[in-house]
Amino acid sequence: MKKLSVEEVKHVAHLARIAISEEEIEKYQVRLGALYEMIDQIHEIKGYNDDMMITPFDEEPSLRKDEVGPMLSFEEVLLNAPRKNGKFIEVPVVVNE
Amino acid sequence: MNKYLDLTIDEIHVAYLKKELTPKMLLDEVFERMDACQDLNCIITATKEEAYQRAEELSKEEVGGPLWGIPIVIKDNIITKQIRTTCASKMLENFIPIYQATVIDKILKAGMIIVGKTNMDEFAMGSTSETSYFGPPKNPWNPIYITGGSSGGSAGAVASRMVPFALGSDTGGSIRQPASYTGLVGMKPTYGRVSRYGLVAFASSLDQIGPMTRTVYENAVLLNVIAGFDEKDLTSSKKKVEDYTAYLGKETQSLKIGIPSYLVSEVVSEEVRDVFNHVVDLLKKHGNTVEMVEVSYLEQAVPLYQILAMAEASSNLARFDGIRYGYRIEDSKNIDFLYEQTRKEGFGEEVKRRIMVGSSLLSGENAKKYYDKALSIRDDMRSSFLAAFKDYDLLIAPTTTTAAYPLGQGLDDPLKGFMDDILVIPANMAGLPAMNLPAGFSKENLPIGMQIIGAPFQEGKMYQLASFLEKMLDLDLEGGKRQ
Repeated sequence: MKKLSVEEVKHVAHLARIAISEEEIEKYQVRLGALYEMIDQIHEIKGYNDDMMITPFDEEPSLRKDEVGPMLSFEEVLLNAPRKNGKFIEVPVVVNE
Repeated sequence: MNKYLDLTIDEIHVAYLKKELTPKMLLDEVFERMDACQDLNCIITATKEEAYQRAEELSKEEVGGPLWGIPIVIKDNIITKQIRTTCASKMLENFIPIYQATVIDKILKAGMIIVGKTNMDEFAMGSTSETSYFGPPKNPWNPIYITGGSSGGSAGAVASRMVPFALGSDTGGSIRQPASYTGLVGMKPTYGRVSRYGLVAFASSLDQIGPMTRTVYENAVLLNVIAGFDEKDLTSSKKKVEDYTAYLGKETQSLKIGIPSYLVSEVVSEEVRDVFNHVVDLLKKHGNTVEMVEVSYLEQAVPLYQILAMAEASSNLARFDGIRYGYRIEDSKNIDFLYEQTRKEGFGEEVKRRIMVGSSLLSGENAKKYYDKALSIRDDMRSSFLAAFKDYDLLIAPTTTTAAYPLGQGLDDPLKGFMDDILVIPANMAGLPAMNLPAGFSKENLPIGMQIIGAPFQEGKMYQLASFLEKMLDLDLEGGKRQ
């Protein structure tokens, strides 16, 4: 059974912006390894056509007109924000940390 | 005592017209049964107050079409305005949407009454509904068994007969597979037939919303209402919506039906194959041609699906960052810490695994090696299906490899969930309409289903065959009903 290295697990967790604890690493080495082992089966497939299908939809996608429509109120926008301050959504300092 | 809830929707409609019944009276029966089914854990949020308020509004109107005053439950990844929508995740435990899905607009316009939001696998990722933050729903046919998933709560709600209708979503079999395990008719329409606006995205190129119902007729009635073009969905089809009920009861004596050979291979258990073979014999006896057909890449459908579904999921779920809505950790020293800890605490195990693998599949060289390759093979797979439809009106196959199995059985295996969906994934990959129809029972008296797969936009023909088989098989599907 394929097992990822500790560094590989840390790398994919970072890419996904998901923190993992030291204790969880071993579990992920095995469980993510199993997924990669399955996925790697596609390398056995040869002789396929190069055309890619991003979405199984043949019609021409239509865009809406670029017009101003009804807008959300401040109250609506802020309704689900976990931290707010007046009319603003609060985040940690991101400049001049 | 339920007087009306177990009637067909046409009988309920007549009772409304005759003024024997009011929406409020029907809701009394719905919530009485919902209370009796609490142990099944199919409902995350019951919308009792909203439902009675709506019943009150409806009672001031004239009785409308066939769905007027009919109760329905909605999978909890379909956005409902001012009704909590959790995706069965801690991440959205307290999320109250400020808009709603197009399908919700449509069912409300038809006069339906939403009575609850249903349990599911977290963000629809899973095949047993056991990844739900709210605990697993249980199969009404036998509560120690899984309902399947990810639309497990929707399936259990209809199978227990607390409502005649549910909406589910199907990314890799999540309508058809639980419908098979609980004895329901479940339709995943053609990709683009039903608007995805307001469906919390898992894998956008695979997701479709569809109806889960007691009968073929009721399924067709609901698809009539939810199908159609929506300018808010870029991949919404402009093709005219047919009246699907017009296909029901039509003669089916000279259909050419194909069976993709891999879908009846040794991956399928003997008892499922026996049930399926009985249907094949029935179809042949009634003058239809049934033959094996080869469709390319079905053997590799699971890894191909994993690549596409996890890659798309990693992008779609990047929006859950603890800032604009959803769960957020208490203290955050900087923005990266906020993102990483929020996502660690807010997502469950299965979801985290899929986001991690998906992110890595899209990074650097991997994008070409995995994602682009999977998209190319997907294109070939669809072409192979479309070629089969030049020779055959419809394809049929089993829906699941076995009947439902006991809860807890596959929890530690990261691949089990995918393998359960081996027969249902190909239709999503190719964007084809596919439905589950109950076909028989296991030795333990649990339902076993079969699939009917159509060419794009051939839902009508699928309902035609399904209604014929439903009549011929004449199964007693009340085994999950609660008094």
